[in-house]
Amino acid sequence: MSVRPIVLYPDPILKTPAAAVERIDAAVTELLTDLVDTMLAGPGSVGVAAPQIGVGLKVCVVDVSKSRNGKDNNHGRLLMVNPEIVARSGAATMREGCMSVPDYTGDVERATDITVRFESPEGRQEISASGFEAVAIQHEIDHLDGYLFLDRISSLKTGLFRRKNYK
Amino acid sequence: MNAVLKENLSHFAVTIIGKDRPGIVADTAEVLYRLGCNVEDSSSTMLGGEYAMILIVSHVKPFSKKTLEAEFATKFSGGGLSFFIRNLKVDEVQYQEPMGELCLVSVYGSDKPGIVYRVTRELADRQVNITDLNTKLIGSPAEPVYVLILEAALPEGMSVEEVTQLFAGLKQELKVEISVRLITPVAL
Repeated sequence: MSVRPIVLYPDPILKTPAAAVERIDAAVTELLTDLVDTMLAGPGSVGVAAPQIGVGLKVCVVDVSKSRNGKDNNHGRLLMVNPEIVARSGAATMREGCMSVPDYTGDVERATDITVRFESPEGRQEISASGFEAVAIQHEIDHLDGYLFLDRISSLKTGLFRRKNYK
Repeated sequence: MNAVLKENLSHFAVTIIGKDRPGIVADTAEVLYRLGCNVEDSSSTMLGGEYAMILIVSHVKPFSKKTLEAEFATKFSGGGLSFFIRNLKVDEVQYQEPMGELCLVSVYGSDKPGIVYRVTRELADRQVNITDLNTKLIGSPAEPVYVLILEAALPEGMSVEEVTQLFAGLKQELKVEISVRLITPVAL
């Protein structure tokens, strides 16, 4: 039960795909607790993935219920082990920032609706998420696959103007 | 970079503009690299047929502005590019994180004089700080359309609704569309 320091890029663990968890034992339960504590300690944070606290396992937590963007549409606190997105649709852009890449933000296009399957201390679950919660889940699962939002930036802020052909 | 080290660096503001062609960025970066400069912050884009670069450059081993000017003059001796260099004081380099909400304002409509002036004056009078701005003249010669898109940091406590309200009168007067939306980054 502790708040763990956030690992910052260029720590290589952030670019390494995490390993699947074989079973949810006491160590994984403790990891989930630490992830929640760390999330609650981060100002405005709505999710943390295990690689962000230096653990290379497919475990993350998401909770957008206290956030302005997610308070009206969420599943509360999600404790996710071996999460997998099994369906996605729609697309929307949001400007994202990440505790592991401080002082930088970028516009990222994500699916607006996802179905995600995962294990948790309560057993197997499958949920359909949308809006900000869906964005947060995709961001955290990216961490488990070794991707940062920097890998997903969809455009420069001024991209709108770049397609004109000059004569 | 180590904050103490960063504070002790000297900085230049460099602007370069000239007829667009492949290689402007590479030529500029080569001069800076050979002098041992860091490009700390930069933005560049095509404007009309010109390519425009703005860079904040730091250097550990201090050298004079003249040295940098001479290097650029040699590199760009083929012509077509103009450059301007300014020394920055330490207090000019400190970045102030905006405290309030970040919003995006889109303005567009039939072209007429004063769109940029009137929109930005409304913001300035209320201490709204523009952090990024683009304008473009589009449409046909017979029906030119002006597009202005800007990002701005609101003073603490000001809402997007207040900014929208602010432009209600101007929308009517200039007969342009003005919309405001929140783009404050989400922390994940």
